[in-house]
Amino acid sequence: MILLTKYRVLGAALTIALAGAAGLAFAQDKETVLKNRQATMKEQGKDLGSIKDYLDGKADLAQAQAGAVDLTQTTKKIPDLFPPGTGGPNPSGDYVARPVIWSDWNKFLDAQKTAAEKADVLVVAVKSGDKAQIAAAFSDLGKNGCGGCHTTFREKIEH
Amino acid sequence: MAGSPAGADSAARGGYLAAAAGCDQCHTDVKGGGRPYAGGRALETPFGTIYAPNITPDQETGIGRWRFADFTRALRWGIAPDSSHYLPVFPFPFYNHLTNDDIIDLKAFLETLPAVSQANRAGNATILFGARARAAVIIIAERFPGPWTPDPSKDSTWNRGAYLVAAVGRCGDCHTPRDYLGARDPERSLAGTVFGAGGKLAPNITPDPETGIGKWSKEDIVALLKDGQTPDFDFVGGAMAEIVRNTSRLNDADRQAIAVYLRSLPAIRGRKKAP
Repeated sequence: MILLTKYRVLGAALTIALAGAAGLAFAQDKETVLKNRQATMKEQGKDLGSIKDYLDGKADLAQAQAGAVDLTQTTKKIPDLFPPGTGGPNPSGDYVARPVIWSDWNKFLDAQKTAAEKADVLVVAVKSGDKAQIAAAFSDLGKNGCGGCHTTFREKIEH
Repeated sequence: MAGSPAGADSAARGGYLAAAAGCDQCHTDVKGGGRPYAGGRALETPFGTIYAPNITPDQETGIGRWRFADFTRALRWGIAPDSSHYLPVFPFPFYNHLTNDDIIDLKAFLETLPAVSQANRAGNATILFGARARAAVIIIAERFPGPWTPDPSKDSTWNRGAYLVAAVGRCGDCHTPRDYLGARDPERSLAGTVFGAGGKLAPNITPDPETGIGKWSKEDIVALLKDGQTPDFDFVGGAMAEIVRNTSRLNDADRQAIAVYLRSLPAIRGRKKAP
């Protein structure tokens, strides 16, 4: 009887110790998650920039295509960038991810899917090289894809 | 005013203005699947929850019975035909600056809308009594100079931009900080505030290079108004995304005019880093 209790206590102590260590590990992960998320979003900004540069005659089509392809890939990864408990603020300290992301995860996924679809349309447009088509797809992705998500799920804070 | 679609008739000009001003932003309950301009959208305000009214031409539940004088009084002074006062959630301190021609066009446009029978909902009654007292103070403290007049020393583009910002776009409603009475602080016009729409941060949009949009080019401002895109290819969310829905309906010349006007403003130093 006593032996069992001793092992139970030992087990409990180990669990608490491990949970504590895991808690520490999670806190580090949260920083990494936030850093990685902001970096990915900034990368998406650069990709959009390369497409805009092509429209303005400042970059060639190959750069625009690379940007468009990268956008489709990074947009697909977005849900992975938002594990629970990572509301932020972001490393720059100017935005937080709103709790509604996790309280209404399906709605968040819908918004991400919408953005992913628009990114797919954009890569097709960029492949064609047709500037009018590209400009329309660019606006749609930016305003309704990126902007649509930011409207519901991101909040600007004082920094 | 210069800038309206050339050759268009009054209702078409009014429709352009209504889209630019974003009347449907409040008066159409998009989330609730409401009919256009039939009201019903819940607005969370410092005065409590209120519901935007029906401004379709319905005779019983809309503004179908309103004469032009009623419409002007509502837009310029926030006073209803029964002489009750609107809360300044309805941005009539800005619409006070609309030209008479534009008010004529707006009414002509609203009259072309399908009449929708939808009764207006009362707001949150227990708060509204205190709200009316607060609103009264704000209305007394605000300035109401009447129809906007062009500055003869500036060109037509600047004047068009100035008019759009002052009267149509109601930019100062969020971007201008308010004094202790709740009236806009004219010394800090468009210099940003932490307590903008819905208690949210509205950035400094004067040309201060450190705390405002001083580093933005004219094209940057136009891109923001067209697609909500910032110079580093971020896309705005929140309340500004709703405004972009309105400004994206402007023609390009009007967006350029707004950019020209904003860049001409005195740079006012804000508190925080640039947007």
